[in-house]
Amino acid sequence: MPKNGFTPKAILDLDRIVHEPARLAILTVLAAAEEVAFLFLQRVTGLSKGNLSSHTQKLEAAGYLETVKVFQGRIPVTSFRITEDGRLALRTYHKHLRALLPEEGKR
Amino acid sequence: MTTPELDALSTLTREYAAFQARKSGLATALGGLMAILLVLAALSPNLMGADLLKRPLLDYILFVPFLWLILKWLGGLLLYRGLGTVKAMQDERYERRRWFWILGLALVLMAYILVGLYGFMNGFLVQHPTGSPLCPPAQWILLLPLLYLLPMPWVIRGIEEARVYAVLVAQCMIWLVPPFLFAFGPRNPPKQAWTLAGHLAMTTFLVVILFIQIWGALALVRGWKEHREYLALLRSLPRES
Repeated sequence: MPKNGFTPKAILDLDRIVHEPARLAILTVLAAAEEVAFLFLQRVTGLSKGNLSSHTQKLEAAGYLETVKVFQGRIPVTSFRITEDGRLALRTYHKHLRALLPEEGKR
Repeated sequence: MTTPELDALSTLTREYAAFQARKSGLATALGGLMAILLVLAALSPNLMGADLLKRPLLDYILFVPFLWLILKWLGGLLLYRGLGTVKAMQDERYERRRWFWILGLALVLMAYILVGLYGFMNGFLVQHPTGSPLCPPAQWILLLPLLYLLPMPWVIRGIEEARVYAVLVAQCMIWLVPPFLFAFGPRNPPKQAWTLAGHLAMTTFLVVILFIQIWGALALVRGWKEHREYLALLRSLPRES
């Protein structure tokens, strides 16, 4: 058993919604701003449109983000906001992962 | 995905959001250039004095802030459309700075209005107590404060707009108020008071001109640097998979 009190179960208890790399990237970007447009999120994460839609839907279903849809003229523009639950989930994930990582992995 | 990569993502988003809020870059550089040109043009021989009110230069001076606002808007539309909107998180320090400049702009405008009205009432009304019609361009100059207040809702959207607009408006006032007071001010002021006021005005005038030149040069460099940084930021984004 590790010294910090975490059992192997702690690794399995990591939030899998956040743990997936694409979703982790999405939540990280959203946590750095108040509202982020789909286009920027797509470019900054390097995901395809379909992939990004699928991941944002999963995050929305978990209550970690909310979708904002507005019309600019006749063009629909989709943006995302991280929710308080999403922010908390991301913080908790970072905390748990840091505690689980060996010293050289904490940089 | 490693921690440095996540940090880089976070920083990239913050920088993009900050730039989006300003949409400045080349507009800042242009504002600086306009300010320098304006001072140099106005310092040329035979442009000072009461006749300034009748010269085309005056029109340029008065409308420079509006010209800059239009060019900035066009620049934001054509150059900095970017990759969609990213709204920055509220930053208390930023908000404090923003309101400092907004307040500064409001004070500049208020000072101009007060000085203008004082000059008008003190000079013109004494000369024309019966209220004879004002001669052009005096007529439209009286509406100028209102004209300058028109873009205020747009200006208060960002610190950058407020800052450059304040400097340009202040510059307009520097060139406008002396000839305005000269034309409509008291004809026979007490000699002692006039000398003291004259020295004070001249010193302030020179300090402000120096400040505008320094600000203009800094804005030129900073604006160009910001534009390059924005292009680098766009280049650093990953390609669509």
